[in-house]
Amino acid sequence: MRVSFEWLGDFVDLEGVTPKDAADVLTRLGVEVESLTTIDLSSIVIGKVLEQVKHPKSRADLWIHQVDVGGRVMQIIAGAPNAVPGTLVPVAMPGTTVPNGELVKDMNIAGEKASGMLCSAEELLLSDDHKGILLLDHGTPGEPLTTVIPNQAVMEAEVTSNRPDEMGHLGIARELAAGLDRPLKRDFMPAFTGTAEPAGRDLIKVTIDDPDLCSRYIGGVIKGVKVGPSPDWLQRRLRASGVRPINNIVDITNYVLLEYAQPLHAFDLAKLDGPAIHVRRARDKEKLLCLDGVQRELAPHMLVIADAQRPVAIAGIIGGEESAVTEATADILLEAATFNGPSVRQTARALGLRTEASTRFERTLPPELALAGARRAASLISELAGGKVHRDWADVYPRPQEPVRVNLRPSLIDDVLGTHVPLEEAESILKRLNFHVKVMGDGEWDVLPPVFRLDVTIPEDLVEEVGRVYGYDRITPTLPGRRHDSWTPLAPSIDRRLDDAREVLAGAGFTETWNPGLVSGRKLEELRIAAHAMRVMNALSDDVDTLRTSLLPSLVDAVALNRDRGRVDVRVYEIATAFLARVGEKNTQPDEPLRLAAVATAGTSSGEGTAVFYRLKSVLDGCIASLSAPACTYQRAAAQLFHPGRCAAVVLDGRQLGYIGELHPSVASAAKIEGRAVAFEIDVDPLLSAATIRRAQPLPKFPGVERDLAVVVDETVAASALLAAIKEAAGDLLENAGAFDEYRGAQVPEGHKSIAFTLTFRSPERTLTDAEVDKVMSEIKLGLEKRHTARFRE
Amino acid sequence: MSRQSGAAGGETPDVVAISSEALAAIAKAQSPEDLERIEVEYLGRKSGRISSMLDGIGKLEPAERAALGKAANEAKRTIEVALATRRAELDAARLADLAETEAIDVTFPGPPPGRGHIHVLTQVRRQIETVLESLGYQVELGPEVETEWYNFEALNITAGHPARENWDSFYFSPELLLRAHTSPVQIRAMQRIKEPPIYIITPGRCYRRDAPEATRLPYFSQVEGLAVDVGLTVGDMKGTLLYMIQSLYGRERKVRVRPSYFPFTEPSFEFDVTCGICGGMGCKSCRHKGWLEVGGCGMVHPQVLRNGGIDPTKWNGYAWGFGIERMTMLKHDVDDIRLFYDSDLRFLEQF
Repeated sequence: MRVSFEWLGDFVDLEGVTPKDAADVLTRLGVEVESLTTIDLSSIVIGKVLEQVKHPKSRADLWIHQVDVGGRVMQIIAGAPNAVPGTLVPVAMPGTTVPNGELVKDMNIAGEKASGMLCSAEELLLSDDHKGILLLDHGTPGEPLTTVIPNQAVMEAEVTSNRPDEMGHLGIARELAAGLDRPLKRDFMPAFTGTAEPAGRDLIKVTIDDPDLCSRYIGGVIKGVKVGPSPDWLQRRLRASGVRPINNIVDITNYVLLEYAQPLHAFDLAKLDGPAIHVRRARDKEKLLCLDGVQRELAPHMLVIADAQRPVAIAGIIGGEESAVTEATADILLEAATFNGPSVRQTARALGLRTEASTRFERTLPPELALAGARRAASLISELAGGKVHRDWADVYPRPQEPVRVNLRPSLIDDVLGTHVPLEEAESILKRLNFHVKVMGDGEWDVLPPVFRLDVTIPEDLVEEVGRVYGYDRITPTLPGRRHDSWTPLAPSIDRRLDDAREVLAGAGFTETWNPGLVSGRKLEELRIAAHAMRVMNALSDDVDTLRTSLLPSLVDAVALNRDRGRVDVRVYEIATAFLARVGEKNTQPDEPLRLAAVATAGTSSGEGTAVFYRLKSVLDGCIASLSAPACTYQRAAAQLFHPGRCAAVVLDGRQLGYIGELHPSVASAAKIEGRAVAFEIDVDPLLSAATIRRAQPLPKFPGVERDLAVVVDETVAASALLAAIKEAAGDLLENAGAFDEYRGAQVPEGHKSIAFTLTFRSPERTLTDAEVDKVMSEIKLGLEKRHTARFRE
Repeated sequence: MSRQSGAAGGETPDVVAISSEALAAIAKAQSPEDLERIEVEYLGRKSGRISSMLDGIGKLEPAERAALGKAANEAKRTIEVALATRRAELDAARLADLAETEAIDVTFPGPPPGRGHIHVLTQVRRQIETVLESLGYQVELGPEVETEWYNFEALNITAGHPARENWDSFYFSPELLLRAHTSPVQIRAMQRIKEPPIYIITPGRCYRRDAPEATRLPYFSQVEGLAVDVGLTVGDMKGTLLYMIQSLYGRERKVRVRPSYFPFTEPSFEFDVTCGICGGMGCKSCRHKGWLEVGGCGMVHPQVLRNGGIDPTKWNGYAWGFGIERMTMLKHDVDDIRLFYDSDLRFLEQF
């Protein structure tokens, strides 16, 4: 809401209060002033145009003016033609700076001397209007402009959605008055009423179909108005608020909207069929040509104001062109109504049209405000446009506003705030905000909020009213603390536990990334991992319309992006949830498994790919070990996104956690990654639940014996199978066994490979002899021969 | 016999000659390797020249045998001492010359450690958790795809509420949506814990239908906090926020709470922290306000407590929330929120 400091001065005495002071007070009260712009007009003087001729040489349209600036005449060149002889204009003198920041200099334009500058309203920051020079309706040449237009200060204030009353200058001024502890000069309800005969309600028939959508409709009849331009001061205030002046009647409805926060509308009474007002839902595909020149098609969920025949306005949003007030209008119907907030919001959204009126109605206005706004507008119309205001308006009010009373135990104020607010001060604050306070026999307060405060309904609301005016700065910060006889022991958070895995990954050169949970659904489909994908109904764009079912695509993209920026070796990972819809259950929440996924570039050759794959496996083993989970096993597998020959399932106690492998070449090339990349993605929760506290093992007392064994087997035999056979054949004396080399070539027949193992034997009771170890070794060889027709290399 | 004896008698001067030969060689030796060679040549156990002299000793007369043995042992000892002395000399000389012989350019940079980086948002979230755990708060987590009830209704944001605009959300169906804040976790935690005291924080990802720009994204992360206990006050809330901010940003920072409006708290506030650049005097970075907006907070609305199954006549509470990204931007002077989610290593490796 754009707030004019000058306007606030209509309602509260601002003597000795600077715009900055006012902004600070409002911010502390909860009307956050986002910005404060002051416009200093004191260096601008009033000039009177004596003569205007077209520049003879300039190719651009320029006019040369002779301007009287109080006893002397200046030659000023301007690009707009409207400063005709006799007009009064604002003049910026050479050497001064115009409010918009432009420095004025003496110049020579195509052979003509140009001194000073004629200012538009835009250059003076008085409005967005840059069409032509600002013309003044009075003033003395040579006098400062501030004799006609005071210096301006405009605040951009953020009004919270519960306070529609602050969407007008009067509401803001009320807050300011309470904060400054100064009286408010204006009553909420103007006393003005019409007197012309006959009664207005006999001149128009008003019906409301659905009181839920329109709880009040006031139609005031004013006859014999003289439509014309509004006075300068009014136009200026409208412009300062970003509203374009139209004519005095329309301007007054807008002015009262900006003042009271009550949107109003004026119809040309003669154009209303009946004359009648029918507040009803639109008929399907009914059309209305609106005031902005756009023809809109309406739908039955929209509320319209219709006459006896057709819609004449979309309720609470915009009026119709055909019934608008024009120069030819003599009699008007002034509408002040209360429409249902959610309904107006829905319609405004459906039409993609938000107006000053709709933004106010959306917040739900109190019906009492309609009468206040109507009276204020009627009195201004009668004052500025003539016209006779008829008595006893049509006022259909099917749902009268019920007064809300709130009982407050005053000690609640201290209890909630944590400080002592003297009772008299609390009471005075409530009264300053127009609350009625009645102290009951038992000390409780019976509080009646003002009619424009629908937001106050519970005692805590009153505590807030007192607190914000008393000043939250005055409350001492404390830390809570009482003796507790129950508590929950501290458990490390999941993320804290995963920090151990993060350290392992960092040590291995992997950098953590955070990627959006929403990705492109089309892409998931292309990658064939969209089976459990959940698509957003109202996505912002199709790049981010679906919840990711895997963290890998984002990481692959991260690799591609960093490759693009010149990195060759990229290692990235992420810890986040994936989302998997439960099949066949549309309205249930999806599974949200917490995942750990990593991607690393792996050169271009098959050998490099293999090497990095094994390295990544070690990193994953390291992560798993860091979480104190038991070691996982790896089984040859096939999975989407992975290379069919280079992918393993990661298995913990028979449960599959995810996959590790080289990325499928098509996945890499689709992401425009040249060369190979390896990756893993696993569920983390099973690892965390399987974590155990490590128990110390006694150090060995006797030396161990190490033997190497090179096993030649068919290509298809997996190292894990050989290891299992070794362990089975070896018995208790085998302490440790691990594969360390894989070899193909001389001495190894075609279609075979040689895998070298290191075996460690140890007895807890004695030093093993060579003979004992030899015996076990032959058992192992026997086992391998039988199981896998293995042979052995020396 | 005499030949033998003569031979033996002729050996004695040999010992002296060999010994002095050895000593001369030792004196000339320039390196530990030279000395090593000399030691093997003269003292080697099998083929050393001193040892070889004793090869035939068994055939000698006892007296000659003793004399030769003695001479050989003396020679051996002399050589050993000379070796040790020369070794010490060479060692001392080598150590004395280290500054010249082994000097390196210490200004030459080392190779990069090759360590990866932990995401700055993870780091800041970790700091926030640590600070609040020190006050007794515990981490609570909840689903990112939420029901309409937990995300809105339970928080007093009823259908058609004008404040709903602030939480424009992504929907999967009329009942199911991406949570717009981590507040649903507060409700779930109250329902689960049932009996206060409750002191929890709820870090997690959230989603709002905001077009991406430098200050906001449709996806972001929050940390919310909730305290439910007996007799909590606005002062307690202020103290908790101040403790948190000072722990994260330094003890010179100040916090102010400004009245605002949220349907789930009453009274409601936004909380600001003094600008780290101007210290609250007002500068370009804080748009001359002196204060930077961090998040929202307030005393939990009685209806929200009820929705969480907590009796508001016995207990009350306060809650707050802020974006981890915002907190991080303020801490590390990051000017564009999108950098956090771009996965650009040039940015991520700065932290």
